[in-house]
Amino acid sequence: MNKRKSVSFNAARIWEKIKTPAVVLALLILWELCVRIFKIKEYILPSPIVVLQHLFLKQPDANYNWLIHIRITLTELGISFAITSALGILIAIVLAWSSTLKKIFMPVFVFLNSLPIVAIAPLLVLWFGYGLKTNILIAFLVSFFPIVINTTVGLTEIDEDLLDLVKYLNGTKLQIFLKLRIPNSLPYIFAGLKISSTMCVVGAIVGEFIASDKGLGFIIIASQYTMDSPPIFASLILVSVFGVALFGIVAALERMCMPWYFRVRERG
Amino acid sequence: MSRKRSSLGHTLLNLLYIAIAIAAWQAIVVIFHVKEFVVPSPVAVFKCLFFTEKVAENTWWAHISTTLLEIIVSFAFTAAIGFLLAILICWSKILRSLIMPIIEVLNSLPKIALAPLFLIWLGYGFKANVTIAIICAFFPIVLNTTVGLDSVDEDLLDLVRYLNASKLQIFLKIRIPNSLPFVFSGLKVSATMTVVGTIVGEFVASSKGLGYLIKDSQAMMNTPPMFAALFLVSAIGLGLFAFIGSLEVKLMPWNRGAEAKS
Repeated sequence: MNKRKSVSFNAARIWEKIKTPAVVLALLILWELCVRIFKIKEYILPSPIVVLQHLFLKQPDANYNWLIHIRITLTELGISFAITSALGILIAIVLAWSSTLKKIFMPVFVFLNSLPIVAIAPLLVLWFGYGLKTNILIAFLVSFFPIVINTTVGLTEIDEDLLDLVKYLNGTKLQIFLKLRIPNSLPYIFAGLKISSTMCVVGAIVGEFIASDKGLGFIIIASQYTMDSPPIFASLILVSVFGVALFGIVAALERMCMPWYFRVRERG
Repeated sequence: MSRKRSSLGHTLLNLLYIAIAIAAWQAIVVIFHVKEFVVPSPVAVFKCLFFTEKVAENTWWAHISTTLLEIIVSFAFTAAIGFLLAILICWSKILRSLIMPIIEVLNSLPKIALAPLFLIWLGYGFKANVTIAIICAFFPIVLNTTVGLDSVDEDLLDLVRYLNASKLQIFLKIRIPNSLPFVFSGLKVSATMTVVGTIVGEFVASSKGLGYLIKDSQAMMNTPPMFAALFLVSAIGLGLFAFIGSLEVKLMPWNRGAEAKS
């Protein structure tokens, strides 16, 4: 009885680990089979094998020089995510430090966060022109508010008793920040960073849709005009991989920065 | 009574802030001679919104109704199907192990990037935009509702099982009421996503609607309609939010006390 339970437990754990890749693989195989069995036209749905071949075509045969476009999109993602997280956390610290500033700006941020910020992308194009800078700005604006709001909440929602104790022990404001508020905010920061990482990709791609002549978003739009769908799917796969990778980096950092959090959770 | 009055005062105060902001904006544009293609004055935006017959080949009402209809249809669809799917997932273990991993994988992808694809599949206009909005907004509501249906107090379940409650009764009396706060937070996320999806859909695939108008005004360097459209889009988004909020209060009257406390 006991033994069987542990075997099934192990199987469950292994399944938990390989679940995502297994699902992705299964979906890809299903996709390939559907295309072959129903003989779907390539411009409607190219098979995954055709799509992957497209990615590895050499320059004269390929419609796009993939390396250039990949580099542009990665640059946008990297820079905008770095600015978003650094500035977001910094501003949240300022807000948590001064309750007056928090009272003024927090409602504004919450309000802005509920608006569809992507809609102002064309305005930014008008102001700053085509290209890399504008796309970084769009990605930044789209992903900025979740991280600020989350971090501020994490920094301010502290166990009152703990706060009283430290104040009673004559802890300075700086000490309270370093030893209490910042460790307390880490789970919130990482939750915010995860949301922001997804939003960053969305912002960069939408930016490239409307204002760019380079990048994977540009390839998607340009190929749509010519109904050339293999490059669209190839870009979609790359964009997804980048998004998941960014998310994965944040998750890995999370495990490194707060091992105690996961120890407690694994113990149940 | 006094609470009502204070909330009225609060609204008035907010209106005052907005009025001051608009006045400051007008003053800055006038004093610093800001060019209209950079930032239009509020008066110009107002004129454009109320005294212009046609913008981008259509009346304002045509643009507004197009976008509004797309948002309402896609949000209604997302909310209904998402909720039902979550109930199915929670009802059957087999369905859960089949569907849940797929939903989790799809949720982590940047769905908005699919927009041009739906344009190829469905053509320009209403159908493509609604589909894009649904794809963007669908997953948060499913995931949130599932969590809400799952996170029921075990002791309560034991008690009801002991009283011979059927699965249906458990769902109707315990799981669904318990999931409502999660459903509503999911709906709020989905509401923003629906608006974003619709607008981006109109950016890439449309000849009507506020998103199209924003994109068209950018090409024409004509900022007053763009700003007017941006305000309208925000207003629609906030309206959807307010609608969900009022629904929340109606459907979970017991929760109001908790909210007031926090």
